[in-house]
Amino acid sequence: MEMIPYTNDTHQEVHQFLVVEAELLDSRRYQDWLNLFTEDIVYRMPVRVTKAHTLEGSVLYGMDHFDEDLYSLKKRVQRFETEHAWTEDPPSRTRHFVTNVRVYPGEGDGEFRVKSYVLLFRSRGDTRDPDFLSAERTDVLRRSDSGFKIANREILVDESVLKTQNLAVFL
Amino acid sequence: MFTDISEIVADVDRGMIPANVYSDEEIFELEKERVFGRAWMFLAHESEVPEPGDYVLRRILDDSFIVVRDDAGQIRVLFNMCLHRGMQVCRAEVGNASFFRCPYHAWTYKNTGQLNGVPYHKDAYGGKRGLLKEEMNLLSPPSVDSYNGMIFASLDEDAPSLDEYLGDFKFFLDFYTRQSEEGLEVTGPQRWRIRANWKIGAENFAGDTYHTPHTHQSVVEVGLFREPKASKRKLGALYFADIGGGTTYHLPPGSFDEKVAYVGYPESMIEGMKEMWSPEQQAMISEAGFMPSAATILPNLSFVHNWPQINEDGLVVPFISIRQWQPVSATETEVYSWFAVDKEAPDWYKKASYKAYLMCFGSSGMFEQDDVENWTSITTVAKGQLAKRLKLHSRMGLDREGELLHEPVENWPGPGRAFTGFGEYNQRSLLRLWGQYMLGNDPVRAKDFTPTPL
Repeated sequence: MEMIPYTNDTHQEVHQFLVVEAELLDSRRYQDWLNLFTEDIVYRMPVRVTKAHTLEGSVLYGMDHFDEDLYSLKKRVQRFETEHAWTEDPPSRTRHFVTNVRVYPGEGDGEFRVKSYVLLFRSRGDTRDPDFLSAERTDVLRRSDSGFKIANREILVDESVLKTQNLAVFL
Repeated sequence: MFTDISEIVADVDRGMIPANVYSDEEIFELEKERVFGRAWMFLAHESEVPEPGDYVLRRILDDSFIVVRDDAGQIRVLFNMCLHRGMQVCRAEVGNASFFRCPYHAWTYKNTGQLNGVPYHKDAYGGKRGLLKEEMNLLSPPSVDSYNGMIFASLDEDAPSLDEYLGDFKFFLDFYTRQSEEGLEVTGPQRWRIRANWKIGAENFAGDTYHTPHTHQSVVEVGLFREPKASKRKLGALYFADIGGGTTYHLPPGSFDEKVAYVGYPESMIEGMKEMWSPEQQAMISEAGFMPSAATILPNLSFVHNWPQINEDGLVVPFISIRQWQPVSATETEVYSWFAVDKEAPDWYKKASYKAYLMCFGSSGMFEQDDVENWTSITTVAKGQLAKRLKLHSRMGLDREGELLHEPVENWPGPGRAFTGFGEYNQRSLLRLWGQYMLGNDPVRAKDFTPTPL
């Protein structure tokens, strides 16, 4: 389907939505972030692999870094809110840089398919080198009374071996 | 720089671990040769390459291997280095191929490893006079074997057999890898790098029940896993037999069926287990009441089996993960983490068990996240000067004279030795084995050595 032009208001609204989402993540406002998802959210990050000849299908069959529904996303956030989630206490300093936003009409009414690049910078403590994660996200956004909701997110990470100690961060 | 490996081993044997064994590059150089160059190393599970031509690329540290099912269905482990100029003949991580062609000069090998094609064979080599293709094969590790579909290799020509190496630990390995006639279906691995020494994870999975109540307090608080409370964890048995050891949880009273159902296995799977497991293996769960959790085989292969709650309705489902702590350097490890499930399990169960795995372990797992933060921190500070003088206290379960504080479990139905309560028995046993390898000894065949002294 044809891309919605950058000059179109919908593109601007979607772009703003993604930038605000990044702000919520980087300021660790995870409860607000959870409110951006629909009840039936599927949040996936397949494992990427090197395959011969092609980038098509360069994901590992049957294996993901994340394959979340709203329940498991909530558990992850709830865990960070305890006093014993050491991996993020002290917290990482993160920046989600969101670019190359492309908006397409979606399948359902008021739905859009949105592609974006994201570069996550993650710094922990004062002695370690920072980590980077680079990925393309493909989202399905649904318009609701309270603005857009994310109904589906697939994160296509660019490394087959992640160079960060864990995914105690979201993309 | 370390002074004398025998001094380090003597300290390790009494449970006082020089902190720089977790950071020193020279110690790591010696480990490469004496531990990883000699021990049996896990490469892949047969179910990762189900069809002829299927391959995965795996490593033993710096050595790259193609694990491939050849056209006749036989599994081969091929050293990924062209016989001509040494280029890697396979550079994809996973795929299907009948031939591997070197990108440099196009020497081509069948998936059996045999050299099949050499460009301008006649012009360049005078045909068979210069080069007999039929007799040339990609190298293979000197020892390759499998157990319950798990493919291992050793770079040591003089290695004991895999059977001898795994020894009595096979009793425990079956809980993870042989729940039915069909065996495991293994997917993955997730791979990521952590700035931690490889031994820390291996020791932790072998026997550190003492960390669970504290490090993993948050997962209990959010209702993900009901077991790790200190009051429950200390009731589990810590067992060690020959080449590895592990942890268990003590389950509420009940029959074998009731106990296995308690952790979430459906009836059809319980029947499979009863067919596969010996009366002694079943008795470890039913009569003794111990359900296996984490475990490690020397040097760097670990397992985990937990049973978290995965949805709002309170569904409790177990999962199995196989993982390898692949060293990159003294201070960095690449974690390979696979999800494993019995092939004959119902589809709903496979799906739910996968969910349970992702929530708990692997790159995003809620247990694993906190572990790695600890291990990274240990490795970072172990690089310092004072760390060379610090001997870490790994003597839990011993008195100050070195005598055991508690008696082993009586009537333990399995092989080896087991204790309940908190204690660093297994970590000491694992590092005792490590020490023997580091000295150049062969602890597997030595008659006068035991990893579990009383």
